[in-house]
Amino acid sequence: MKLQSKKIALLSAMLGASLAYAGPVQAQSATPAPDNGTLDVVQLFAGTCGFCHSSGGRAAGRGPQLMNSPRDDDFLRDRIKNGKEGAMPGFGEAFTDAQIEQMIKYIRALKPREG
Amino acid sequence: MKKHLGCFSLPVAVAIGATLAASSAFAQTVDTARIEAAGQNDWLTYHGSYKSHHYSPLAQINTGNVGNLGVAWMHFPGRSTRGVQSMPLVADGVLYYTGSYSRTFALNGATGELVWNYFPELDEALVKRQTHSPYNRGVALGEGKVYVGTVDGRLIALDAKTGRVAWDTKLIDSQKLTVGFTGAPLYAKGLVIIGAQGGEWPGRGPIFAIEAATGKKKWEFLTVAGTEEAMKTWGGDSWRTGGGGGWMPGTYDSETNTILWGTANPAPLYDWSGADYKTQGARPGDNLYTSSVIGLDIDTGKLKFYHQELPHDAWDFDSSVGEFVMLERDGQKLIVHPNKGGFIFVYDRNLAVKNVWRLVQNINFVKDIDPKTGALIGRRDFPAGKVTDPPLCPFIGGGISWNAGSYSPKTGLYYKIGQEWCMTLDIQKTTPVTTPQAQLNIGADFKMAPPPGGEIYGHLDARDPVTGVKKWEVRYPEPPLGSVLSTAGNLVFVPDSRGIIHAYDAETGTELWNHNNGTGHQGGIVSYSVGGKQYIAVTAGFGGMLADEYAPNFGGIYKSMPRDDGALIVFSLK
Repeated sequence: MKLQSKKIALLSAMLGASLAYAGPVQAQSATPAPDNGTLDVVQLFAGTCGFCHSSGGRAAGRGPQLMNSPRDDDFLRDRIKNGKEGAMPGFGEAFTDAQIEQMIKYIRALKPREG
Repeated sequence: MKKHLGCFSLPVAVAIGATLAASSAFAQTVDTARIEAAGQNDWLTYHGSYKSHHYSPLAQINTGNVGNLGVAWMHFPGRSTRGVQSMPLVADGVLYYTGSYSRTFALNGATGELVWNYFPELDEALVKRQTHSPYNRGVALGEGKVYVGTVDGRLIALDAKTGRVAWDTKLIDSQKLTVGFTGAPLYAKGLVIIGAQGGEWPGRGPIFAIEAATGKKKWEFLTVAGTEEAMKTWGGDSWRTGGGGGWMPGTYDSETNTILWGTANPAPLYDWSGADYKTQGARPGDNLYTSSVIGLDIDTGKLKFYHQELPHDAWDFDSSVGEFVMLERDGQKLIVHPNKGGFIFVYDRNLAVKNVWRLVQNINFVKDIDPKTGALIGRRDFPAGKVTDPPLCPFIGGGISWNAGSYSPKTGLYYKIGQEWCMTLDIQKTTPVTTPQAQLNIGADFKMAPPPGGEIYGHLDARDPVTGVKKWEVRYPEPPLGSVLSTAGNLVFVPDSRGIIHAYDAETGTELWNHNNGTGHQGGIVSYSVGGKQYIAVTAGFGGMLADEYAPNFGGIYKSMPRDDGALIVFSLK
């Protein structure tokens, strides 16, 4: 099943343009976070959030399982923005409100992996 | 002096002169020669001495009387977010240790009475944005000062007698790079050496040398592309965000005038290059000097020699964990160094490979490592997609974690914790985020999994450090995360994850004593003597990057175990 977030997660111009190669081989480049663009939340989980929220948020790890979270959107929004001391960093200064809304949409759309 | 006991926001040292009861306190300064000699009453540097034995030559507490061991005193550092992870140090009867937020204490080693404390003012807004924070793993001693790093990128020197700040040097732009210092510094030859956090953080992983007398930076070595040779091992711009670092203290070899340090992994942790990692993927090439052991000239910071334990590490099994155990065998001077992947490397004093052996059973990121050359045999390099059958072994927590093992010159055995666990992954292409503030770059979704056909467990092994031949083993249902101590009393102490500290017969592994400290261990353990009496000091307090995996995966006692609490517990004979 395709995640809704995959549909909304259009690779922004920033992300695409960032793949500038300085050498003869392919390599990732240093990339600033998007200011206003859309965010690839799947990639964000594989890069950052998934370090604690296992299996892309589908299972508990260092952080809680996010799939089927009983928490409401206001709680998730506050936790993503402000974090929780000793448990989760705050991302309010790293991502825009619109991007945080995309993260919440991703969480709400999470389904078990197939296979 | 402004007295300060409760408010965290002010950096204040509180010295209580009346408690300087340890009569020999400050009798002599700690210097390179004294650390090298490693007097039996003290514990002067993170690894016990430059030889990294984590061994005490004290024998007052021994196999015959360890049953009479009891709590002598305790100390609570407070605000123990993510537990208490530090290795206490002891000099002339005064014990120094740290809690989270680099809260630093000097205590009377016999009674626990406060000599002084120092709570640095940290950038709390930054701390709230950090993942690997705010724990601290200890201090260094030297030239009448106590040195402690901070998660907001500073190294601070405190007067060992009063706790007053001697200097405070900002070394890393943590506000942008996110990483700071959590590891203990190393003092040697007038310098204080400390390595930055790194690994999965996009950066270049610096190691710094600071003048102990002045606080001025003497040199800096970048573990990512720190030389022209190394720059060629990072395709494209990947060197700009390569990770690296050296977040645990190494040691000093006075015979070669060399700092020995283990380096962290490259970022992203999991590359999608597949087998063509030399030319494809996130960071094409071998990625020097990540997941390596390096020898730096202490006077200049120039690289003298190195061995990259895992060229192009695609599994987060770095070399920053563990100790550099120096010993002699058949006339050869050797160094034993554990790698997170579960292998133990044996080197000569110039880091040329002499042997490699397995501590851990469940390893499949490579089929083997050539014991003569250190070359990886049958490595698994994954393309983007799922890794489930078989799962990757070991788990991201490693076959070996950063908690120290112990070598007893008396038994000739190396006592080391191994971890048997694996993980499933879904490897994905990621792009490093560097502004406005650097973010983690993992490169996969993952989850802990049991080894194929088996269960997760941990074990303490007693082995020959050079050949790996096992003499005995003790198993635990969950891997212990605390450090190990051996003593001349023929004892081995293991503080486990459930909160029990065990004492074993060093020759046989027979358990002789245990005590419940009430919460999990993931820090240091040392032994020292004051006024002719031997003490064992251990930190307890759970939480952090690996400990946080225990509640969801193991349940039981870990579900209710606090992750914001802890203490220093000191034992002596009743």
